[in-house]
Amino acid sequence: MAFLFRRLGFYLAAFVAAATINFFLPRLMPGDPVQIMFSSAGAELPPESLQSLKLTFGFVDGPLWQQYITYLGSIFTGDLGRSIKYFPAPVTAVLGQALVWTVGLMGIATVISFTIGSLLGVLAAWRRGSAFDVIVSVGAIFATSVPAVVTSLIVVFVFGFTLGWFPSGYAADPRLDPAFSLQYIGSVLYHGFLPMVTLCAVLTGGFAVTMRNNMINLLGEDYVVMGRAKGLSDHHVMIWYAARNALLPTVSSLAIAIGTILGGSLVTEVVFNYPGLGNILYQAILARDYPVIQGQLLIMTATMLIANFIVDVSYVLLDPRLKGAL
Amino acid sequence: MRVLLDGLLRNRKALVGAIILVLVLLAAIAAPLLTQYDPSARVGRPHQPPSWNHLMGTTRIGQDVFARLLYGARTSLAVGFGAGLLITAVGTALGIIAGYRGGKTDEVISFLTNMVLVVPNLPLLLVLAAFIGQASPFVIALILGLTSWAWGARVTRAETLSLKQKDFVKAAEMIGEPQWRIMTFEIFPNLISIVGINFIGSVIFAIITEATLEFLGLGDPRAISWGTMLYNAQKASALSVGAWWEILIPCFALALLGLGMSLLNFAIDEVANPRLRTGNWRDRWILLARSGEGRL
Repeated sequence: MAFLFRRLGFYLAAFVAAATINFFLPRLMPGDPVQIMFSSAGAELPPESLQSLKLTFGFVDGPLWQQYITYLGSIFTGDLGRSIKYFPAPVTAVLGQALVWTVGLMGIATVISFTIGSLLGVLAAWRRGSAFDVIVSVGAIFATSVPAVVTSLIVVFVFGFTLGWFPSGYAADPRLDPAFSLQYIGSVLYHGFLPMVTLCAVLTGGFAVTMRNNMINLLGEDYVVMGRAKGLSDHHVMIWYAARNALLPTVSSLAIAIGTILGGSLVTEVVFNYPGLGNILYQAILARDYPVIQGQLLIMTATMLIANFIVDVSYVLLDPRLKGAL
Repeated sequence: MRVLLDGLLRNRKALVGAIILVLVLLAAIAAPLLTQYDPSARVGRPHQPPSWNHLMGTTRIGQDVFARLLYGARTSLAVGFGAGLLITAVGTALGIIAGYRGGKTDEVISFLTNMVLVVPNLPLLLVLAAFIGQASPFVIALILGLTSWAWGARVTRAETLSLKQKDFVKAAEMIGEPQWRIMTFEIFPNLISIVGINFIGSVIFAIITEATLEFLGLGDPRAISWGTMLYNAQKASALSVGAWWEILIPCFALALLGLGMSLLNFAIDEVANPRLRTGNWRDRWILLARSGEGRL
């Protein structure tokens, strides 16, 4: 329990650090920070709305520490200001809607690629040096070295534009109303398929390499040799003696990979015009909608910290030595 | 060092990787000899498919894609190696200092490192670049260098901790060598394979991230680089109007360079590890995860 509390404290500190970056960036830039933050608002915003926006971002009369406290105060009460592009929608509403799509895309792609990647890694390590191992290893090197932008663009070109098998935009058919109907869910799956496959292609290789190397390190351990000496079947030793133990460090490498997964899904969403956080961020950058851009950093940091925490918990659950810790 | 080089020469992955890297380097250096076109000038009609006059076609505003590719390679390589060097230097220095000094210094550096690791890198870079506005490739390299050192620091620290216990370090301490000397001349040379892997991993990361930032419209659109080529092509809806050459060519260039560098990285890991691996095996997967970290 103490372990998890310590992690929670650390995550809180990390979140405050991200907020601090947000607070100081406009103030460090040359020129008037208020001007920088809200220049794109122009004459579109009524003066009283601009005033309340300034308040949210801590632009109050007073010393810097007071401004900082004001800003932290608004963040921790869930007020991230209002979007300039989609005025008067609050940033939390704009991002909240997009977050659902991103988390869905990321979550499912992570589960699929983690499962497939780990399985490939286990098999490749078990038959180290075989043709299968070479194909998996080289394929993984190739998949991990190609930028997500490139993979996405090529997939959208081949399957979206050239073959026309899948749509190359939106999360669902825009003519349909969101509902729990078979038709709508089918449309969501159809539209989500290409981004999902792309993200899996980007991620699977990394998990396969990690798992393969963890396995190889464990295959020489005494208890694996012991398992064989006992005359257990190959499969039994592979899965219950080696793979089970190799899974632990693979799970903690998952925490490391979350940043990569998040980045990958941002890029994929932009290319596929998928209405997740990445696309909102892209539109916000084009419109210089700073409240949304800053809100993104906080939301994504929070997402990453929550994912890290889930990994922490599952690590404790998976490792029998830590059983008392929960 | 000798062993490392010998092993690399005999490694097929290293050979292929090195050939790719040298080809890209040569193309970048010899750009003015390989094409007569100015990469930013309008030299043909818009969106011409590849032909004898324009080997890789033209962009929407009639620039020569082949010329832009060659000159763009200069930017990608310069940003990649410049930022890679910076990332590795900061990471290695912090890692060795934290690992060797221990105590309060270690606590502060480690806390900082872990903090940087959990704040998502790409969104952070996006926010930075958005405030700087139309960041030039040089500025992008600089912010990459200052925000992406955490991996290197963590891995180097772990390895330094195990080296610190070795007899030759103890001996140097007995003789009374100053701390900075032990760190630079006793510990650093023994970390060379980790530093090498970290460096190449960072170069891959920097090249990919620069292209990604520029693709997302945060770079200076007038700069000539593979990222801005993608950005301009995407803005011109090159795919939907059928001008595949404008988008796929920089894509393949990025993929090829990434592949070459990754092959080098894996080769160094393969050659260096069986000899130098004395620490625990956890560091090993951290390194491998690191080499894959460049994918954004």
